[in-house]
Amino acid sequence: MTESDLPLAGLRVLDISSFIAAPAAAVVLGDWGADVIKVEGPDGDPNRRIMHDSSNYPKSEVNYPWHMDSRNKRSLVLDLKLPEARAALDRLIAVSDVLICNFPPPVRDKLKLAYEDVKPVNPRLIYASLTGYGESGPDRDRPGFDATAYFARSGLLDAQRYEGGPPGVPGPAQGDRATAMGLVSAILMALIHRMKTGEGSWVGTSLLGNGLWSCGVIAQAALVGAFLPHRPPPERPRSALGNIYTTSDDRWLQLTIVREDKMWVPLCQAIGQPELTDDARFVTQADRRQHSADLAAILKHAFAQRDYEHWRKALADNGITFGVISRPQDVPGDEQAVACGAVVETAIDGMPRTLANPIRLGFAEQRIAGPSPALGQHSDEILGELGMSRDEIARLRQSGALR
Amino acid sequence: MSQDLPPGGPPPGGLPLSGLPLDGLVVLDVSSFIAAPAAAATLADFGADVIKIEPPDGDPHRNSFRNASYPTSDLNFPWQLDGRLKRSLALDLKNAAARGVLERLIGRADVMIVNFPPPARERLRLGWEDIEPLNPRLVYCSLTGYGESGPDRDRPGFDVSAYFGRSGILDAARYEDGPPGLSLPAQGDRATAMTLVAAILMGLRQRDRTGKGCWVGTSLYANGVWANGTSAAGALVGARLPPRQSPDKPRNALTNLYRTSDDRWLQLLMVRDDRLWAPLCTAIGRPDLLEDPRFGSRAERRERALELHRELAPIFVTRTYADWETAFAGTGIPFGVIGRLADVVDDEQARHAGIFADTDNPEIPRTVNNPIRLGFAKPRKAGPPPTIGEHSEEILREAGYSADEIDALGKSGALG
Repeated sequence: MTESDLPLAGLRVLDISSFIAAPAAAVVLGDWGADVIKVEGPDGDPNRRIMHDSSNYPKSEVNYPWHMDSRNKRSLVLDLKLPEARAALDRLIAVSDVLICNFPPPVRDKLKLAYEDVKPVNPRLIYASLTGYGESGPDRDRPGFDATAYFARSGLLDAQRYEGGPPGVPGPAQGDRATAMGLVSAILMALIHRMKTGEGSWVGTSLLGNGLWSCGVIAQAALVGAFLPHRPPPERPRSALGNIYTTSDDRWLQLTIVREDKMWVPLCQAIGQPELTDDARFVTQADRRQHSADLAAILKHAFAQRDYEHWRKALADNGITFGVISRPQDVPGDEQAVACGAVVETAIDGMPRTLANPIRLGFAEQRIAGPSPALGQHSDEILGELGMSRDEIARLRQSGALR
Repeated sequence: MSQDLPPGGPPPGGLPLSGLPLDGLVVLDVSSFIAAPAAAATLADFGADVIKIEPPDGDPHRNSFRNASYPTSDLNFPWQLDGRLKRSLALDLKNAAARGVLERLIGRADVMIVNFPPPARERLRLGWEDIEPLNPRLVYCSLTGYGESGPDRDRPGFDVSAYFGRSGILDAARYEDGPPGLSLPAQGDRATAMTLVAAILMGLRQRDRTGKGCWVGTSLYANGVWANGTSAAGALVGARLPPRQSPDKPRNALTNLYRTSDDRWLQLLMVRDDRLWAPLCTAIGRPDLLEDPRFGSRAERRERALELHRELAPIFVTRTYADWETAFAGTGIPFGVIGRLADVVDDEQARHAGIFADTDNPEIPRTVNNPIRLGFAKPRKAGPPPTIGEHSEEILREAGYSADEIDALGKSGALG
């Protein structure tokens, strides 16, 4: 397998986007062989500094979020406010396949980077737009972050809370990365369309749309007027068999028994209390739901007696579905995380392992991640490929359009 | 022209629509519950002919709406959502006579989606090795809970355990001393569906390049880790974040939740507080804070987050969310509200973003669109999802079965 065999080999992608969702989509395309050119302003993508700027990022000597979101890209710095830069960008657009843009619409208009502006330059171009809230409507111009657009506006955080508690907490960029896969799918649809018709197209998605897609079950329920009350705390679960319990070594065990009819007896056996099957309070599923607080108290006491390792074995031996609430430090050492292809090796000094994108192909492996580019690291190389002479590049740099 | 625009498509000016990109594609959805079927629904949205192959008692997802963690309704809304635009063939894959039917369908299909745990897949001879010889141009798509190998490959995976629990998302999604965070029904399944769609489209592209089918796939676990990628990448280099402080003890008072006078939660998200500190002080009517030496620099504001919170919280709680919306308009300060689904369904912006779509299904007049927007095509309108085996005969006829053969199959029990 060489890089030219990758499914997106030969595809040139302009990543004119910042922060995470749109750049992460470009990462996925790069993982599968695309030549991704990151076009940055003179200050660079602010994601280069987010680890320091955001108090919600774990701090490290290694700029891991930047490495993760920019691997295998080349960096070209253009000050798009200057006409000279725009001319260079147009030359690049003319020889590219995909342009990914996430400027809020007013900035896009100011920079003449809307689809109508770039389509004449290259009618075969696939223009991929990411917005926070969509392409029209009262909030189209608002900058969108995943915490606001994907999680808060969609109703996800309101629903993800315990009764009486504050709203739920999203992980950093959690919705951005999920949205990236929506954007990748949109771009691949457009490639199929181009193959069929020879024409480029506009495609896109929004953080809000992806947030609502992901909570589609409760959103569809809301559309028919059904709502979920806030989750009762673990002591008073709706179902004691779909609840979380702490073990003696202070891990959280997640019981997710959907097929109660089959699993009730094995569960009683697994916790060493076969007499529960005769307890009149817990005979049918309806009984168990009605007495869920009683049952939860019994299970809470039982699970607190032994450690996670014990329960892992006891539950698995009885065929009971359960999970563990892993801590971040558990994932790097989890053999299964490597087996499912989530954790892979890199060629980056100081960051020997990273997260692969979750797409698996039987016929190709993702490119190994190299170090993310320094700001403007490939400016000369990329413009040279466009046929610009050294003099032209020097003049561009003098004008301030290039760095 | 504007009424022809795809929902959430490009702004005015519009673009002509053409055929759906997946017209003519035949997809076998041999999967259950949500992640894999939702991927098939998305392919159907964009034109694919999706044949759902179900056991005689149906996909168990037909009963999910009775689940305690689902909103209570007499309408089977989750099945309406995930079964849309599919045809149903009821086939008892454990019955020997069913195998021939399946193989004939595979011979004519472009894509096959499977999510049996590996042991069931092997028992039913539905692994890629079993299927490839039947149709070398087939794109075979596998969804598992935990991957195709490793100690946990055979475990059935649900999104709450494989995507959310195992990946570290729920552990991170908690306040200090609180229980782990919550996920919503199928939340990780539906996000994973977008990855499956991308994987399948990559497989189709590969087939166009080489003429050969292929195996593609993903796992719930890998998708959870991918979504949790920032924290997970931090963990890989040994960086850890303590649990989030509750909103009255924030690490950063400028990226925090504030309660408003009408009991909504305003989410302040001032990542660029270098530029936005002055506009914020003005907008909340506290220009004096600009002169306050305690909050002169970014570092000081971070260091004195609790003091700053004590200044801000009493201000936010004096006015309604709508008042704050007005006060912040045009300032560039990123903020939002913790939305309630009751509001979202009537949210004008959700309509503009093409998030909901009208259906031809009287049971659910509106549904949730998949998040992919194409300038050249509009997703198909959803009708009612099929009853179990609703299209068995029709599909078998298309596969070349005669009426007699179909009769015989029915008698054998293969069709349930």
